[in-house]
Amino acid sequence: MTQVSEAPERVRPRGERSLRLARLVGAKIGGGLVSLFLVAVLGFLLFRVLPGDPARAMTRGAPVSAEQLAALRHRFGLDQPLWKQFLDFLVNLLHGDLGVSYTYSRPVAELIAERFWPTVLLTGTSTVIAVLLGLWMGTRAAWRHGGTFDRLSSSVALSLWSVPTFWLGLILLMALGVGVGPLPGLFPVSGMSAPDVPPGLLPRVLDTAHHLVLPCVTMVAVVYAQYLMVMRSSLLEEMGEDYLTTARAKGLREDLVRRRHAVPNALLPTVTLIFLHLGLVVAGAITVETVFSWPGLGLLTYEALRGPDLPLLQGTFIVLAGSVIVMNILADLLYHVLDPRVRGS
Amino acid sequence: MSPILRLRDTSVSYLRDGELVPAVRGVNLSLDAGETLGLAGESGCGKTTLAMSVLHLLPRSARLDGEVLLDGHDVRTLSWGELRAARWSSASVVFQGAMHALNPVRSIGAQIAEPMRLHEGKQSESRLRERIAELLEQVELPVRRVDAHPHELSGGQRQRVMIAMALACGPRLLIADEPTTALDVVVQSQILELLGRLVSERDIALMMISHDLSVLSSSCSELAVMYQGELVEQGPTDRVMADPGHEHSRALAAAFPTVGDSRFRFAPAGTRPSEEASSAEPGSALLAARGVSVNFGSGDGIHAVREVNLEVADNEILALVGQSGSGKTTLARTLLGLQRPSSGRVLFDGAELATSTRGLRRYRGQVQLVLQDPTGALNPRHTVYEAVAEGLRIHGATSDERDRVTEALEAAELRPAESFFARFPHELSGGQRQRVVIAGALVLRPSVLVADEPVASLDATVRGEILALLLRLRVERGLSTLVITHDLGLAWTIADRVAVMYQGHIVEEGEVEQVLLNPAHDYTRTLLAAVPSLREQPATER
Repeated sequence: MTQVSEAPERVRPRGERSLRLARLVGAKIGGGLVSLFLVAVLGFLLFRVLPGDPARAMTRGAPVSAEQLAALRHRFGLDQPLWKQFLDFLVNLLHGDLGVSYTYSRPVAELIAERFWPTVLLTGTSTVIAVLLGLWMGTRAAWRHGGTFDRLSSSVALSLWSVPTFWLGLILLMALGVGVGPLPGLFPVSGMSAPDVPPGLLPRVLDTAHHLVLPCVTMVAVVYAQYLMVMRSSLLEEMGEDYLTTARAKGLREDLVRRRHAVPNALLPTVTLIFLHLGLVVAGAITVETVFSWPGLGLLTYEALRGPDLPLLQGTFIVLAGSVIVMNILADLLYHVLDPRVRGS
Repeated sequence: MSPILRLRDTSVSYLRDGELVPAVRGVNLSLDAGETLGLAGESGCGKTTLAMSVLHLLPRSARLDGEVLLDGHDVRTLSWGELRAARWSSASVVFQGAMHALNPVRSIGAQIAEPMRLHEGKQSESRLRERIAELLEQVELPVRRVDAHPHELSGGQRQRVMIAMALACGPRLLIADEPTTALDVVVQSQILELLGRLVSERDIALMMISHDLSVLSSSCSELAVMYQGELVEQGPTDRVMADPGHEHSRALAAAFPTVGDSRFRFAPAGTRPSEEASSAEPGSALLAARGVSVNFGSGDGIHAVREVNLEVADNEILALVGQSGSGKTTLARTLLGLQRPSSGRVLFDGAELATSTRGLRRYRGQVQLVLQDPTGALNPRHTVYEAVAEGLRIHGATSDERDRVTEALEAAELRPAESFFARFPHELSGGQRQRVVIAGALVLRPSVLVADEPVASLDATVRGEILALLLRLRVERGLSTLVITHDLGLAWTIADRVAVMYQGHIVEEGEVEQVLLNPAHDYTRTLLAAVPSLREQPATER
């Protein structure tokens, strides 16, 4: 009789697997570099077509002579042909030099580095809280879907999600920062630290945390709804799957069925969302940082736009776009680790 | 000693829109160690609900009445803790469609280990690994696949994992719910053999659920037939098969014809052998493949179809049989002009297929496709009229659209056609949906129909009706049909000729009687031997 084989064996030696992984990582990073280059080109060109003379912007309307303007243009290389400017920009970019800010008269890279950590502190804290809160509530809502918790949490989340960030920020600022009527303000309304902080690490940390509360609450309130809704619908989809019946038939307790089988599968779609968001929140913090005068990248971008401060705008543009690209690569790679089905294909 | 499973007047109803809808009504059953019981019935007859009630795995909306005694304990009165302890250790389940019954992101080893960890308390990892290896060996899976994930395994291998998992805690009762439904005949017979062997070796009771009476009769000593929630017949397999007492048992038995039995030749379930069908003379070759090969990928890619010569003549039904992966669907796509052959030619009416978009479109009006799953093939938002008229509109609107749609629906035996115009797919039964798909093909007045597993997703009794329709279309209208199937019984019922495909080659081709009764090629013999036969004796009685 003919040997009838069921399916070709699909076992790969370990060496081949790690080679495939290395190739994948290489491809992702290569793709990311191409995107970054395009971002640099776009960033350069975009801000050249903005209306307004940068040299005039630097003088802030003070009366200057034509010679002084020409000298300014020469100092910042604005009298060079466009291609030459672009080439200089690229070479400098490779050296980590993003030019000198017109308004601050300081290197852009230095300014960005200074403002980077406050933004990471704000967006990082609020994203972690929003993710945990959203996923937990989404799981609960889906598991008892149609119940009181589900209906209540979904509608609250949707209302908050639909509220404009600046509006919510202003309301919180007035209610909890300035104080309403006889109620005193509970939290500081602007900045990251008070001028009169006693020395020592602990008081400073507490002071910063105190300042962090309002902007953080604003960001979490607006963002967590997304995680809730995605987790809820993703888990609802998984809940009809047969493997959960298998798990129940095995005698697993209901909470184990959920924790061990349903949630890990339902989490997969949220991974992409979380990382896409981590990239975007750096930019998304512009409104919140402006409302609360949080000294981060968002506020810096806002200030640069008012100039317009071309080198600073270019710098923040590249950093914001770059963070989206980096997070995307990380999401792809993490997905690869988490989902064996993606690994196989 | 009390039986392992005893059902006394068991009823299950579901609460829907404030009303209790009965799904299982007053079933009495009893099952002892070493016994094998086959539970047969169509989808919706309550057989799965009955099986789920044994472990009390019913949804919240279900109400269970009567007694369900598992090992002497009524599952209805057990506490949740006792019930969880009984699950999998007293009785375990091999679910249908193992792809979805296994967690896609956990390794099969972890999934097999899970119930052992749960029910047997702490044990060393090395001991656990040993036992998993033992189980994998018993289901004839290589032990090194222990870290594989479900998607890396074939359907048959996944079903083996499911069986290994079900045996992990040494249950006394095994419930197998459609364990072989999505599988090929060859793989199906391997799985059935494995199940039969393990059950008799371990002296446990088996309750197998299927819509396919031939599967049950070849592996169970007792048969029970369910119809609309009730057990309409129960008895030893031989008796039930030889002399079915209930009309529904007869209908089920007839739906899976025995290859070689002349009573089924040209007589799909419930119809009389067609005189015209057996005497009709096929005409000249209408659709032909000449030396067609299809390769995917470059160089050492996959050779899906190799040097195939095949002809579908005017006024004939040709069955193309083979197991999944044999290349039969790729060949069909090539014949339809959906896939360009790597080499060779496809001829229609003596002329080579056009390569231009317009030429291909004209050709596709002549050769129409009917797919396996009518639910997926119909747009849920289109009415029956729109679904059927769509083909006409694509091929240039005609002024008599309404008449053509009516004619096509009537040809597909949806009468009166007008009453179906405004209905949506979800308002139709599975058989009616497949008729709409066939009407959508007929509306262009094609000369060849290519039907890919046209009845595989349909209920047993509906299969016969659809096959009878295909046969009638050929007898009354001379419509040629190429039926792609893995079901040799289907070929025996309606086809004039049969071509057997294996690893991209047509290994045997000829008149149905000649190929299926006197197979010349080894592979055809393998396929025939794998078909569960009603005459075969159950494994436990051998």
